[in-house]
Amino acid sequence: MELIGRYLQAIEFWLPKRQKQDIIAELSEDLHSQVEEKEAELGRKLNDGEVEAILKRCGSPLVVASRYRPQQYLIGPTLFPIYLFALAVLTAGCVIPRFLIWLGFLLIDPAHRGYLHMENMGSTVFYFASLTTLAFAIGERTGAKFDWLADYWNPRKLPPLRNPNQIPRSNSLFEIAGLTLLNVWLISVLWPRPVIDFYNAKISIAPTWKIIFWSLLSITVVDLCISVVNFFRPFWTRLRSALSLLMDSLGAAIFCWSLRSHLVAGIAVPGLSSAKADALTNWINAIMANTFWYAVAVSVVILAFNLRRYTVRFRDRQLHASGTQAQVL
Amino acid sequence: MSQSSENHDVFENLRLELRRGCLSLAVLSQLRTERYGYTLRKALAEQGLEIDEGTLYPLLRRLESQGLLTSVWREEEKRNKRFYRLSPEGKQMLKQLGTEWQKINASLNGIL
Repeated sequence: MELIGRYLQAIEFWLPKRQKQDIIAELSEDLHSQVEEKEAELGRKLNDGEVEAILKRCGSPLVVASRYRPQQYLIGPTLFPIYLFALAVLTAGCVIPRFLIWLGFLLIDPAHRGYLHMENMGSTVFYFASLTTLAFAIGERTGAKFDWLADYWNPRKLPPLRNPNQIPRSNSLFEIAGLTLLNVWLISVLWPRPVIDFYNAKISIAPTWKIIFWSLLSITVVDLCISVVNFFRPFWTRLRSALSLLMDSLGAAIFCWSLRSHLVAGIAVPGLSSAKADALTNWINAIMANTFWYAVAVSVVILAFNLRRYTVRFRDRQLHASGTQAQVL
Repeated sequence: MSQSSENHDVFENLRLELRRGCLSLAVLSQLRTERYGYTLRKALAEQGLEIDEGTLYPLLRRLESQGLLTSVWREEEKRNKRFYRLSPEGKQMLKQLGTEWQKINASLNGIL
């Protein structure tokens, strides 16, 4: 019977204070009744192993005690999705700007990276996450049930149905404007010639630039054509989507390659000694070369994102059939 | 986890969900006459409805806090036991739930 006493004591520890005595008395009575009945059946006292089997069947003390408690949670099911969303937004808002600033410092002047401790990023994220969790837990505990979320919604005010195949015309217009400006800038400023005049500076460009320039120009022109077609036929087709993905991939590859091509062959600025001009040339080429792996990493992320968008667009073709009807290039 | 074990878990969860609603009704119906926890468990088991103590006692407490049961501690066979029985509200509730159960049962019989 000592085992029963120890078992009840373990349950008692986890019970709500006010009900402890009452619950333990009732459970004790039940367990003793079970033992008595078994003893009457066997015609002898139960040994420890048999009592243990009864207790094992009843369940662990923590589980038994938990059944007497009301269901409790730090953040309830209504608030939980909002909590997760807030956590994601706050974490991204905390990490991304800091990472970009750190990356900028690292690329331009590695000696200054000490000003921003990326090493402390973990504790910053933890701090933000803790505050967010605390705020939501207080909201839950103080009874802010956010009933308005359930009561004051209107089906007519819900966002319009999303169609992954639809291309907003505003996006196409924005792309057309941006790509036109880019092409004008490429042609007017970066047209391949041995020396580029940049205000008073004369920048000598490596011959490789010719290949890079024409490749980039071709890609931006194709992109511009895709954007114009997208404007008039605002639904993605497989062909256009694949072409856009291909152009993005080629653009990223050429851009990354250009970073390691030592494009600046020399700089001449009035009043700047040739030694300093050489140092400046080397510095610019070194910075571009240093950014190579970062550019590769960013390109891979962007391309992976685009590839995912491509697969999502055409995965649910039937669902969004209206978006693909006879929209061909 | 194998498919059959997963299926077994799903079945077990659904079975428990199905049982949960019925247990309150079964307990209320058995407490038209006064009983203490252990005899109540035995009475339900005899009718084919096994219920462990970890489920029964919290359920009894909940039903009592809802005003559907009354309880009293009394000594019997040299041990203190807590006897439960239906309150007037419990009797009313049992009647309503019984009717509801008959409806659901008739519908399900038709559907199944």
